[in-house]
Amino acid sequence: MERVAFRAMGTDVELLLDAFPSAESDRALARARAELERLEAALSRFRPDSELSALNRFGALRAGRDLVRVTQLALAARARTGGRFDPTVHDALVAAGYDRSFELLANGASTAARAPAACGGRVCVDARTGEIELGEGVRLDLGGIGKGYAVDRACELLAAAGPCLVNAGGDLAVRGGPWPVGVETPQGTLTLELTRGAIATSGTDRRRWTTRGGGEQHHLIDPRTGWPAESDLVQVTVVAGCAVEAEVLAKALFLAGEERALTEADELGAACLLVTADGRVLTAGGLQ
Amino acid sequence: MTSHAGRLCALAASLLAFFVLWAVVAAQPWSPAKAADPRLAALARREQRLRYEARLVRRVVARRYADYRRRYAAYRRALARQRSRAAAARAAAAAAALAPAASPSVRIVTLPPLTITRSS
Repeated sequence: MERVAFRAMGTDVELLLDAFPSAESDRALARARAELERLEAALSRFRPDSELSALNRFGALRAGRDLVRVTQLALAARARTGGRFDPTVHDALVAAGYDRSFELLANGASTAARAPAACGGRVCVDARTGEIELGEGVRLDLGGIGKGYAVDRACELLAAAGPCLVNAGGDLAVRGGPWPVGVETPQGTLTLELTRGAIATSGTDRRRWTTRGGGEQHHLIDPRTGWPAESDLVQVTVVAGCAVEAEVLAKALFLAGEERALTEADELGAACLLVTADGRVLTAGGLQ
Repeated sequence: MTSHAGRLCALAASLLAFFVLWAVVAAQPWSPAKAADPRLAALARREQRLRYEARLVRRVVARRYADYRRRYAAYRRALARQRSRAAAARAAAAAAALAPAASPSVRIVTLPPLTITRSS
C-alpha cells in the first residue's frame, strides 16, 4: 500500500494506492498529485492568476477544457436541483465574509458581512469554442464541484496503477476496493465500505468564521436567499458514482432539509447519511 | 598491238593496277598492328569503373529508399493507431461524461477505517 499526503485546494489531500511500490506506482501518484495541483491552479477563486479569477474579472473568457467542463456540470446541476446547487454564489460567499482562503479566515482575520447577494444569474457556455460569458454582475465559485471534479480526475489517473482512493477534505473517490472509509460526524466516526464510487460530505460543522459584527457564518450558501443556509441538518454525506455527483447531491440534500432530503434520497436511490441539528444520524437511499 | 582501242584498254588497265598497288602499299598490311592509345585505354577503364560505382550507388540508394519506405509505413501505421486510440479515448470520455455515473457499491461496516472524510 502506498500513501501520499499533501496540502492542496485548501485541504489535506491523501492518495492511497493498493500496489507494491514501483516506478509505475510512483509515476501514477505523481501524475495524480500534479493533476490536482493543475486543476486547483485553474479553478480556484482565491488565486488571482487562475482561469476562474480571469473569468470573474472580465465576465467572459475563452476558457480551457476543464473550466468549460466544470461550468457545464455546475449549470446542469443547477437545472437538476432546481437551483439548490448554484455556481453563481461567489458574491454571496464574499458578502457572508468568505472573501479569502479559509486558512486566512481561520487565522482570525475576521471580515465584515455585507448584505446578501443575488444568485442564479445568467451563464452561457459555448462548448464548441470554449467561450464562457457571465451575465452582468455574475461571478462563479466552483469550490466544491471543482474539488469533486479534481478528485475524480486524480482517481482516474491513479487507477491505472491499481485499486486506489483519493481523499480531499469532503470529497473522496475510489476505484477497486473495498475501502473502509470513516465518515466523521459530531456523534463519532461511522465506517462505510466503498468498493466503487465516491463520497462527498457537506456540513456547517466546519468552515465557520466570525464576522466583525460578532456573528458566526458558514460557507453553505442557500442560492434562494443569497445567505448562509439555515437547515435542520448539520451534515449530509452522499455516496454516488462520482465525486461531482456526490458533491452536488450533498449540497442539494442539505438545503432540502431533513424530511425532503430523506424522500429525495430514497427516490434517487442515493445512499446518504444525514446528521440532524438535534444529533440524530439517519441513513437513506438504501444505505445499510 | 596496232589497234587504237587496244592501246586505250591497256592504258586503263595499267592505271587501275597502279592505283590498286598504291592502295595496297599505303595500307602496309605487312607491318604489325599499331599499339592502342594508352589514354583511350585509361578512359575506357575509368568508364568501366564509373559504371560499376554507379551501379553500387544505385543499389545503396534503392536499399536505403526501401528501408525509408518501410520505416515511413510503420510510422504511418503507428500514427494511425495513436490517432484511433486518442479518438476512442475522446469518445469514451465524452460518453462517460454524458452517461449517468456508475452506481456505487457501499455498506456500513464495523471495520476500522483506512482514511477519514469529513465536511468540506
